[in-house]
Amino acid sequence: MTNFYIRWGGVCIVAIVLIVLTYNHYRDNLASLAPQQVKQEAPAGEVRVLGMVQGGTLETRAAGEATFSLLGESVSLPVHYEGPPPDNLRELKILVLIGTWTADTQVFEARDIGIVPNYGFIAGAYLLGLLPLALLLFAMTRRVSLLYEEIKASKLYEEE
Amino acid sequence: MTIHRVIRKVQRFEGWFGGGAALCLIAGLYVGLIGSPPDYYQGEVVRIMYIHVPLAHTSLLGYTVLAVGSLWYLWKRDPIVDNMCQAVAALSAVFTALALGTGMIWGKPTWDTWWTWDARLTSFTVLLLILIGYLMLRTFVDDPEKEARYGAILAIVGFVDLPIIHFSVEWWRTLHQPQSISMRGVSISSGLLVPLLLMSVGMSLLFSYMLMVRTQLLYLDRLLHAKKGRLLSQFHLSKSDS
Repeated sequence: MTNFYIRWGGVCIVAIVLIVLTYNHYRDNLASLAPQQVKQEAPAGEVRVLGMVQGGTLETRAAGEATFSLLGESVSLPVHYEGPPPDNLRELKILVLIGTWTADTQVFEARDIGIVPNYGFIAGAYLLGLLPLALLLFAMTRRVSLLYEEIKASKLYEEE
Repeated sequence: MTIHRVIRKVQRFEGWFGGGAALCLIAGLYVGLIGSPPDYYQGEVVRIMYIHVPLAHTSLLGYTVLAVGSLWYLWKRDPIVDNMCQAVAALSAVFTALALGTGMIWGKPTWDTWWTWDARLTSFTVLLLILIGYLMLRTFVDDPEKEARYGAILAIVGFVDLPIIHFSVEWWRTLHQPQSISMRGVSISSGLLVPLLLMSVGMSLLFSYMLMVRTQLLYLDRLLHAKKGRLLSQFHLSKSDS
């Protein structure tokens, strides 16, 4: 049984390493500000802002350049986007903008647009998909090991 | 061939399947969660595909093994094959339920609903019900020979659901997306294909490994019970003689 627990200890360590690596990879994407926070706090440097493209405000100037308002809780943030031609920029769509807040002009200068990362759904799906399998496999292999020990101990493991 | 030789042979293959499954799944999880790009339309949610699709494929593979094993059992009446059928049915039921569960989680952010009576989802649910029915049938029939025979017939009849599941996205207008990998070609980019293949191979190997373990478990359990019963009857016989 010692080998059995060592093997499963190894599986746990690998799982923890994978979880830590994944968490570190996405940590920067987890935090985002609301439009009202950007207006109130006026953050220096690049930030991520989460909000909805306000209906009737989207104006596309050229491929890769647009202006619109990003709506938070009753506060809208004027946005000027300039970057790669966006696939997901539509009115009433919830987006994440990456860029900087310019206090002088009161406009958020976005350089990239992403859709809302649903990490909760992804984590839930992986947990649901893998955890029951791991627990089932653990229970089955443990039972097999115990059965072998029982058979050996009761001297039933003889040729018929 | 003696029992312990059979068990030792199974154990020898077991390690290869288990090790292969671990390597493929670790590589698949790393590439799928960290190394691969998000989809241009679905974004990060596409990563659910790397767990959902392999689970669904493996459950279909499991049911195919069950149907073939059942045919083999009806022909040869080999109890070891029946053991394997019982083991594969339980595992397929687990994989099918998990495929449905992960599909529901994918459906919420993609279709904005946890469930819809779509042809693919409904036919897959029917597969789960057939498997549950198979396992219940095997529990309720007392005679082991009848239990195995009825189970085999049900499994073979239930196989008709597999082509329905496979072609449901072509036969009916469904919400579920059509197949990305088919005889007509591959319609997903290599960045998404690599983790999908790694996870699919890993899941198939894991299923095979779990099947070996479970078959062994059922076999050892029955062996222990049979031997204990035989020893008990010998003990009673010797007592009644004396």
